[in-house]
Amino acid sequence: MKQGRVVVKLIGRVAIILSVTALLGIAAVIFVPDSPEEEIREAMAALSEASSSNAPLYSRRLFREAKAAYDSAMAAWRRENRRFIYFRDYTGVIAFAKEAAEKGRLAATSSVSGSRNLRERIGSQIKETKKTDSQIERFFGRYPLREELRTRLAKGRLMLREAEVAFKKNQLLAANRKITDAEYLLAEVLKSAMEELKSYFGAYPMWKKWAETSIAESAKNNSALILVDKIARKCYLYNNGRIKYEFDAELGKNWVGDKRRMGDKATPEGKYVITRKYQGKETQYHKSLAINYPNSEDVERFKSDIALGIIPKGTKIGNGIEIHGGGGRGADWTDGCVALSDKDMDILFPLVKTGTPVTIVGSLRKIEDIISAENE
Amino acid sequence: MKNRILTGMAVLVMTALLAGCGKVPQAQVDEANAAIEAAQTAQADVYVPADFAALQDSMRAVNAYIEGQKSKLFKKYGPAKENLTKVVALAKTVQESAVARKEEVKKEVETLIESLKGVIEENTKLFPRAPRGKEGAAVLEQMKTEMETVSAASAEAQNLYVDGKYMDALNKLKAAKETADKINNDLKEAIKKVGGRI
Repeated sequence: MKQGRVVVKLIGRVAIILSVTALLGIAAVIFVPDSPEEEIREAMAALSEASSSNAPLYSRRLFREAKAAYDSAMAAWRRENRRFIYFRDYTGVIAFAKEAAEKGRLAATSSVSGSRNLRERIGSQIKETKKTDSQIERFFGRYPLREELRTRLAKGRLMLREAEVAFKKNQLLAANRKITDAEYLLAEVLKSAMEELKSYFGAYPMWKKWAETSIAESAKNNSALILVDKIARKCYLYNNGRIKYEFDAELGKNWVGDKRRMGDKATPEGKYVITRKYQGKETQYHKSLAINYPNSEDVERFKSDIALGIIPKGTKIGNGIEIHGGGGRGADWTDGCVALSDKDMDILFPLVKTGTPVTIVGSLRKIEDIISAENE
Repeated sequence: MKNRILTGMAVLVMTALLAGCGKVPQAQVDEANAAIEAAQTAQADVYVPADFAALQDSMRAVNAYIEGQKSKLFKKYGPAKENLTKVVALAKTVQESAVARKEEVKKEVETLIESLKGVIEENTKLFPRAPRGKEGAAVLEQMKTEMETVSAASAEAQNLYVDGKYMDALNKLKAAKETADKINNDLKEAIKKVGGRI
């Protein structure tokens, strides 16, 4: 009987202990703090989306912040997981994870729109820079640019190509760097060259006067006149004040500006006359018309240049300027002479004589007219 | 006495419950991290960036899973172990792809360096034969300056090649080659125009 009571008592105690254990077990499960897995998963997805949207490249700051927030969330999670399970507090982890998710999503969106905008901008910059390059080519393709400008032009063009290569590969950041440099270099070249050209055109009123008086004289005297327009690369034969023939002309290698001294490869500007006609074995360029360079004005200016130290003492003024054949090369190749094709020389040669005026000007048109015609 | 034994048993059960039944596969985590680092050392982030980002995502997921398990009463690291094995394998594949792609780019750079060298040499020989420029001496001078820039770019690209920066070298070389080829064509056309033989 006593034994039976003991057994009952024991069963009762075991039941109590088991119940307590079960209750504790249930409490243990219930009171475990909720893990921040869901928030971390969202943050991870946002980071992954940002990453595949190239946010590390095009939305750097936001992506960096999102990643830092995610790393902080993971660090806080690890820290909390080291504590006793019921003392864990994931509030900080969740806050960081939410921040990471938000910034990650923002980074993705901003990267998509940012890269699209950047792509559009670079595309139009490439287009504009190509336009600048073709403007340089149109205006200054045959213009003897200074070495410094030539170098900058070459660098600018190479950078433009590099930008295009990177752009085609969708390497927008590299393309952006290159096109920015190319745009700057080519715009500077165009600006400087244009300024030089405008400064050259400072002599336009004088050229105009020379041309007008020469044509008027030709009309008045019913005589021939050779008029050379350097910018247009044209040689006109006038008679009685009217154009009879128009020939393509080639000039000195360094044709911009007036001839100042021997060896400068410039074609002189001024009013001259034919001093002698050569043909056959007398000339190496088929037929030629020597002119009276240097005339009195050239000599005067040369002396003044020497006196001012613009030209070093001992320099010679040069001579032997002619209108001759051998042209038609499509090049400015002479040492300062005006070259026509042999065929054109055959036409011109018999129509002029010793004493026929030869007027050489920089341009017969105003610079504004040339620019607007080129732009059209 | 019996009470104490029973209480002890209850405590043991609780401890077992609280301790969980798994252990973090730290060795595998370390192995995966080392494999990812090796892939990065092989410049996977440069040569196969998308694959490398996917690899990082996978590792991030495994780390999150492990921390998730650590937060639980009953821990289960089996799937983490499986995924870590996959990450290690993926890291190796990504590393191999990066090495292969790098080699490909390196070869492309080498080919371009050689062919650019050829065009530069050819252009140097063509210049004296050009009729003082295709459209004028100014054009010829510009071409020469551009060729100097091309040669400088080629030298720069070779330095990048020596430094192992093949991607940067490649872009530079492609642009330089395009310029050199254009000049080559222009020179040949100009020579042909005056009746010269190419």
